[in-house]
Amino acid sequence: MVALQILVNGVLLGGTYVLMAQSLNLIFGVMKVVNLAHGSFIVMAGLFTFWAATHLGLNPLLSIPIVFIAGLVIGGILQPLIIEPLMGQGRRAELLSLMVTFGLDYVLVQIALQIFGSDYVSLPFMQTTWHLGSLTFSKALVVAGLFAALITALLYAGLNHTFIGKSLLAAAQSTTGALSCGINVRRIRLMAFALGVGLASAAGALLIIVLPMSAESADNLTILAFVIVALGGLGEYKGVIVAALLLGVSQSVVGYFFGGDIENVLPFVLLIAIMLFRPQGLQRPA
Amino acid sequence: MASRTEPSKAAIGIAPTHAIGAERRDGRMTWFKGGLFFALLAIVAVCIPLFGSAYSIQLATDTLGFVILAYGWNLISGYTGYISFGQVSFFGIGAYATTILVQHSLVPWYVAVFIGGVAAAILAAILGPILLRLRGILFALGMLGLARILTVIFSDWDYVGGAAGTMLPAQLTPDIVYTLMVLTAVAAFAATFYFERSGFGLDAMSVREDEDAATALGVPTNRIKVTVFVVSAVFPAIVGGLTAWNRSYIDPASAFDPTLDLQTIVFVLFGGIGTAWGPFIGSVVLMAIAEIFLVHLPAIKLALYGAVVIGTVLLFPGGLVSFANRLGLLKRKPVLAPADLPHSSAPAAPEIQTPGEEKPVLEARNLTVRFGGLIALDDVSFQLHRGETLCIIGANGAGKTTLFNAVTGSVPASEGDILFHGRSITRLAVEQRVRLGVARTFQIPRLLLDLTVWENVLLATRHGRQSHRAVEHTAWVIRTVGLDSVWLDPASRLSPGRQRELELARVLAMQPDLVLLDEVMAGMTKEEQETVRHIMRRLPEFGVHGVVCVEHVIAAVADLSDRMLVLDFGRKIAHGLPDGVLQDPAVVRAYLGEVQ
Repeated sequence: MVALQILVNGVLLGGTYVLMAQSLNLIFGVMKVVNLAHGSFIVMAGLFTFWAATHLGLNPLLSIPIVFIAGLVIGGILQPLIIEPLMGQGRRAELLSLMVTFGLDYVLVQIALQIFGSDYVSLPFMQTTWHLGSLTFSKALVVAGLFAALITALLYAGLNHTFIGKSLLAAAQSTTGALSCGINVRRIRLMAFALGVGLASAAGALLIIVLPMSAESADNLTILAFVIVALGGLGEYKGVIVAALLLGVSQSVVGYFFGGDIENVLPFVLLIAIMLFRPQGLQRPA
Repeated sequence: MASRTEPSKAAIGIAPTHAIGAERRDGRMTWFKGGLFFALLAIVAVCIPLFGSAYSIQLATDTLGFVILAYGWNLISGYTGYISFGQVSFFGIGAYATTILVQHSLVPWYVAVFIGGVAAAILAAILGPILLRLRGILFALGMLGLARILTVIFSDWDYVGGAAGTMLPAQLTPDIVYTLMVLTAVAAFAATFYFERSGFGLDAMSVREDEDAATALGVPTNRIKVTVFVVSAVFPAIVGGLTAWNRSYIDPASAFDPTLDLQTIVFVLFGGIGTAWGPFIGSVVLMAIAEIFLVHLPAIKLALYGAVVIGTVLLFPGGLVSFANRLGLLKRKPVLAPADLPHSSAPAAPEIQTPGEEKPVLEARNLTVRFGGLIALDDVSFQLHRGETLCIIGANGAGKTTLFNAVTGSVPASEGDILFHGRSITRLAVEQRVRLGVARTFQIPRLLLDLTVWENVLLATRHGRQSHRAVEHTAWVIRTVGLDSVWLDPASRLSPGRQRELELARVLAMQPDLVLLDEVMAGMTKEEQETVRHIMRRLPEFGVHGVVCVEHVIAAVADLSDRMLVLDFGRKIAHGLPDGVLQDPAVVRAYLGEVQ
């Protein structure tokens, strides 16, 4: 029973990771940019949600649309300023964009530190549990996981069934191909980045109810999201869901046996393990 | 493409004479100014401990620490192109190694610092082959991960005080720490300065420019990047050891502080990434600005540094040094380039024997390549004898490029055998085949664009030759191919036709036994085609014993080929003398369709 409980907790935890990984992957898929400032958008949204809940009494679930729209706007402003100018530099764009988002990460984290301070906070929300037989389900985890799944499902529906979504997928497959179909790739990149930041912010608002965070956890979250995406296969959208659940379960298992420190380091260890054994991700055969 | 209308020979010797005179003068001036600059720096370095306050000595020590960190990072990320977000790992390793040795042994502290450097080198030598296997993003984040893993390990390690950290015996030796920092900074600068002028540095830069192309030129890229990584780990480790001693206190949060990496990267970018002066200039200028304006605003300082990274990458990616370059100062000297392109003689021409006396240079036996269900190459056999040129023609999708890739090794053969001088090379990796003497050109030239024509060719001649022989041979190749009027231009500045010539020059410089030319004449003007045809006729002088070419412009190669092989949907439909093959009804049908 303990084993099953650990598994359940892991799956629920992994569920909350899906959204934050998927948003990173969206940006990578379309632009081949790993957004190193990803985690700082997540913590900013999370800390804002915490602040709104404690100071204004705003339900964290209501913060989701607020931070999502704010993220869209911020992403929409930043992309043409600092990411778009690097596009079209071929192979170099990848490393240059890595540097630029690395710089952006520091700017944002320092801003978050100034606004929200450096304390680790977690938002007490739905702290009771549901029981099913001898299994317990943390309500907060279930709700966060469900919302993450819902938003991810909406994202899929949007990607696969709208013209803009299909244009995004097309641009992700081939810039030249998309261009020759009359798709404005520039605008698609802008939308992908804005949407990615918006979704990362939404993920932040959800994560704050299950995961204590401070402004300085930004990099850890970036790495966590990146490890999931790398496990799932960069640019692969389905593999990421499997990878998120897998990581949630492994963290849950490792945390149970070895404690929190090792649990937190697990993503980094996995990152190096991936480099060693499965550089192409989990999906494609070796 | 009007830029290449003049015949290649007429260009020889016109531009350089005047330019070289100017360069010599410039060179002397640069040395003079350089000497003056060094003297000034030395005076400043000596004056600080003599006349400065304790505070200014500490500030100078910190600045020098960053200068050294910046040089370390610049080696692996600036020259070799592997961006690291975790060089602070080695800083921490050096700091802890020094601390442990000082606390638990009788080793003098400066020896402990040195051993810390060795420890970091060992760690880098172990991790390098793993971390450097993957490129770009994964390496960058892997290093970030390494720093985090080390933070956790040292936080949980009670022997060194865990997360709370540990004290070193308090010693007031700021002057000595300062002196050692100065010496290490000088060493870091000298190492970089020498590195960027050496063949080893050229190899590293070729990894940055295009690792695959470098491998194809015979550069042992793996060994090069791991070696650079090891050296780039030693410098931060020494700074770490000196800093631990200087502060007489160490804890995981400060030993593996990620903001150290931020500052290092800002300083290098701002000064000029991949340059010998950038790390020094960037560190000193930004440290001074921070000291004057931001000393009480550490939080804003980091945010501003982040903004400087963004601004530098977007607005002046070359950093401050690129402005100096525009004034003709602090320029990188092309590796091993003599002041004037020497008139060296051709290497001893290898005797060409009559075909058929020995084993064929290249032989394909029942070669089949499948991609899943698609048969791209179906049971193709042919022989290429010594001194022959074989041209492969066929419509788009006929399997020409696949045949090429199978011979060079970038696509595995599904069935059949490939023999080179009678020896099977079917299972060998690309670089092993290159080393045996199988070289190719790419349809789209893969030049090392930021490097000069001279360096592009030198890379190809360097491996397996002594340095002065390589220089002579490079000069000969550049003259023979007709690139001597542009030999010091960056490859990026050449016209497309000249870029192809350079690509060809680079391949020939390796003196391969067998050359595979992949549509070298596509998109060339008539004049450029004529230059290439001229080179093709002279191939034996380069030591080439056999040529296989794929060409769309059949007329341009028909008279140069000894035999032709025609592919259609992966099958060999004709093989023989050019005249016969071109009149073969099957070939005409494949090319022009059925005659109605």
